[in-house]
Amino acid sequence: MNYLKMPLKFLWRDARGGELTLLVLALVIAVASSTTISLFADRLQRTMNVQAAEFLAADLAISSSSLLPQAWLDQAVKFQLKQAKTIEFASVVINDEELLLTGAKAVSRQYPLRGYLKTRSSVEQQERLQYSGPLKGETWVDQRVLSALNLQLGEALMLGDKTLRITRVLSYEPDKKTNFYSFSPRVMFNEADLAATHILQPGSRVSYVFQFSGDAQQLAGFKAWVKPLLGASQRIMDLHEDRPELGSALTRAERYLGLSSIIVVLIAGVAIVMSSRRYSERHFNMTAILRCLGSQQNEILWLYLSQFLILGIVACALGSLLGWFTQQALFGLLKDLLPAKVAEPSLVAIMFGFLTGLAILIGFALPPLLRLKNVSPLRVLRRELKPLASSAWLVYGLALTLTALLIARYTQDLRLMLAIIGGGLVVTLISACVLYFLLIQLRRILPMLSIGWRVGLQSVLINPVVSVTQILAFSITLLAMILSFSVRDDLLADWHTQLPDNAPNYFAINIFPDQLLSLETQLQQQGIPTSTFHPIVRGRLVQINQVDVNNIVTKNSTGERATQRDLSLSWGAVLPEDNKTISGQWGQADKGLVSIEHKLAESLKVKLGDTLTFAIGNKQVNAVVSHIRSVQWDTMQPNFYMVFSAKTLQDFPVSYMGSFYISEKNKVFLNAMVKQFPSVTLLEVSAMLKQFRMILTQLSMAINYLLYFALLAGFTVLFAAVYSTLDNRIYEGALMRALGASRALLRKSHGLEFSFIGWVSGVVAVLMSEVLVYLLYQYVLNLEHQIHWMIWLWLPLVSAICVMLVGSWGVRATVGQPPMRVLREG
Amino acid sequence: MIIETKNLSKIVRLGEDSLTILSSVSLTINKGESIAIVGASGSGKSTLLGLLAGLDSATSGNVRLKDIDLTTLDEDGRAQLRKKWVSFVFQSFQLLPRLTALENVMLPLELRGDKSAKQSALAMLERVGLGHRLGHIPTKLSGGEQQRVALARAFVTEPEILFADEPTGNLDSKTGEHIIDLLFELNQEKNSTLVLVTHDKVLASRCEKKIQIEAGKLV
Repeated sequence: MNYLKMPLKFLWRDARGGELTLLVLALVIAVASSTTISLFADRLQRTMNVQAAEFLAADLAISSSSLLPQAWLDQAVKFQLKQAKTIEFASVVINDEELLLTGAKAVSRQYPLRGYLKTRSSVEQQERLQYSGPLKGETWVDQRVLSALNLQLGEALMLGDKTLRITRVLSYEPDKKTNFYSFSPRVMFNEADLAATHILQPGSRVSYVFQFSGDAQQLAGFKAWVKPLLGASQRIMDLHEDRPELGSALTRAERYLGLSSIIVVLIAGVAIVMSSRRYSERHFNMTAILRCLGSQQNEILWLYLSQFLILGIVACALGSLLGWFTQQALFGLLKDLLPAKVAEPSLVAIMFGFLTGLAILIGFALPPLLRLKNVSPLRVLRRELKPLASSAWLVYGLALTLTALLIARYTQDLRLMLAIIGGGLVVTLISACVLYFLLIQLRRILPMLSIGWRVGLQSVLINPVVSVTQILAFSITLLAMILSFSVRDDLLADWHTQLPDNAPNYFAINIFPDQLLSLETQLQQQGIPTSTFHPIVRGRLVQINQVDVNNIVTKNSTGERATQRDLSLSWGAVLPEDNKTISGQWGQADKGLVSIEHKLAESLKVKLGDTLTFAIGNKQVNAVVSHIRSVQWDTMQPNFYMVFSAKTLQDFPVSYMGSFYISEKNKVFLNAMVKQFPSVTLLEVSAMLKQFRMILTQLSMAINYLLYFALLAGFTVLFAAVYSTLDNRIYEGALMRALGASRALLRKSHGLEFSFIGWVSGVVAVLMSEVLVYLLYQYVLNLEHQIHWMIWLWLPLVSAICVMLVGSWGVRATVGQPPMRVLREG
Repeated sequence: MIIETKNLSKIVRLGEDSLTILSSVSLTINKGESIAIVGASGSGKSTLLGLLAGLDSATSGNVRLKDIDLTTLDEDGRAQLRKKWVSFVFQSFQLLPRLTALENVMLPLELRGDKSAKQSALAMLERVGLGHRLGHIPTKLSGGEQQRVALARAFVTEPEILFADEPTGNLDSKTGEHIIDLLFELNQEKNSTLVLVTHDKVLASRCEKKIQIEAGKLV
């Protein structure tokens, strides 16, 4: 036989006969959605990474208390990375006997690698974007420096031994963080002037940040190279490691997008299994004839496989194209929300969609096709002879492996993948058994029903295995859709509560006890809601159960980071609202107890009852761990690793911190406040908040659009399932009509049958979803789980109506066609 | 001798019981002969045809086709022999529904890799009087026309042996007669051996030899 011509001829004939429409449709939808999601997520992620990199002023940064070895910087050059450097330290600036402790920051010529600085020439004027720092001999300072020292722009400022001319007011720096130096007003100057200040001496407390930017792959390479070499005082900062609030939103969004993709692929897979099974069954006769005419098994296999491969390539190409256009449209729709420059589509992402499509086709359609190989030529004489079904291991094994691989790709977690697959399998198996048992039991009531009901339900009950398969296919499809919807809703709600519209946009720190009451009163008078003001003492954890922490912490752990610096230690009987008890108790205890954040406790291997020793100034304080709690760091509210019982730290000098939301119109008040409380440091987080919120909005929008794919795929399954049993139904319908059944009776019994299947599928789907959503929330998305009672009501109803409508439409031919024709062609 | 069977039996298992469909059938068919296998419904004649043509495998005994023992071959091996030497005509025509009349007739030639499939098929369809129906698919043809396409498909490969299973079973008597005339004409033209299963005595009487089968045994 001609190995290309013949498959093409058969393919063309089948395509024209509408035999392949559903299969192609399912495949195109799966590929289009995979491509869209893959492209969209990839571009969005790279765009967001660029945006988020602005927070670091680089793609990657290494903070260090000393200069990095030259070899590391040389290595960065080898990776073709751009480099910049900032050196921060505390320094007192003097002007006419006025003293001010400032956060000095020397920046190299290339700073900032990402993002920009904002400066003004005077308070009133518009801000200007600056893509590099001050020139040699010049300095840019916070407005507070000018106010506190009675200076004007253009005047000189002494930093150590070096005189610098103040040329601009610095109003924004991208990489300003909540560390000690940043709390003090900023004096930024060129690195070239650093040596002349003579401030830095051996032993000075300095924070160096070495910044890098470049190609993502090169960055990853450099990161992997440098990470094992880092010393105790060195730390890598990138988006995920250094900006937990952004990092967690991104991670969740990436996981959600991945989940949507798996869901669409799964639904499409169900549709593909069903349509290819029907395809296979409808080709039994033709295969028997071919076998009879002398075709060998391998030729038969090639004939069908090659058709599917050609079909797959065409459908996947079509799907990729559609996916490309959809993501373009998506970016078009989100244009106003996105930065002007969006990352370009990558070929890898397009290829991913294409290959996913081919993999689904093979994984889900191969088993029914393999069955054709086993068709006996004797079928030409005895129609009832059916080929052996492919082994269940092959049928489900292939599809399962494929699904597992996809889940693994998105979760990158073997245990989680096994949990999802295992959980899914167990739930499906249990549902199948229960359904089978129920259908068998239902048979008993058949004789008691009227003819319409009896005929309708008989089709479902007479062959419980087929019905269970069909109901499960619907259920899994519905389940996937419920998952998509409910996860989306909860994710959005969660983001919203995390960042309500009036989330605090200012932090006030360094408030002295005698200022606290007056400040609180003033804020209240202005109608500005505040968080609780928390007392703070700065101190460092030095010992756990009398063992030096340096002997306990592991490299690059949370524990190490928290013990290498001073922590803000607070106290009080009432913990911040979002804190939740993990173990132990917290209350009105007097002295000597501490509550610790659970991740830090885990990292330091601290348990209830352990004694922690803190160094505060030149004194040491002991406290026993009596409470371990979780903390939500991404709420923009003050939060602490360590909270002590009330009187433990009473002998130390204390300052207070709090956060509040100041609207645009209230900003005038801010100036008055700065004047009245000059020592209070105000930290503005508006810009960060705005950016954070923008990213969440973008993600929410994207998620909404991607849901439509799941819906589309769901409808393909619906049609595929109805069509998979259509031939039988049409034949039986014609027989019934020939025996005198009216059209009305047929319509009624079909309606009842499909409604029943739809309703049962709906109930099973809700049941499965409650179990899976619980697992998913608990272990993947870290969300609170609540039972969605309304779904129990409306989903089975909607499902019954949809299946009934599509089913009745599908079998309308049974009712409409002259029975003789159907029976003759049967 | 082109076909020979020795003690051919076919037994199927039905749960714990077994049902004997054919029991120790031994026969020989010579090249160029026309043979009718006759018997009542359920007597086992179609099963015998299936075994002789290598469509099915026997429980015991053997079948030799052109001196090759079919029982030693697997299904693919038997398919090779069918492709080379055998053709079929069935009661229910067994045409591929999506292929046109011409394509249906071309099919066995294409499976053999015959380059002139189209010309041969065209000539054959002309021969059976369907030169004007080349582009029609089976459902657009009458029963008689479909069986003529099936005949064209069977003879286009000039088979050594033609197996026909109730070829007039689905046709009215007049059309059936035309088809049988055509079948015997073509059989003579191509000098094929004809093995025909029927319960139609008139049809059986046109064959040179008659084998009667009852409850799985030759009588």
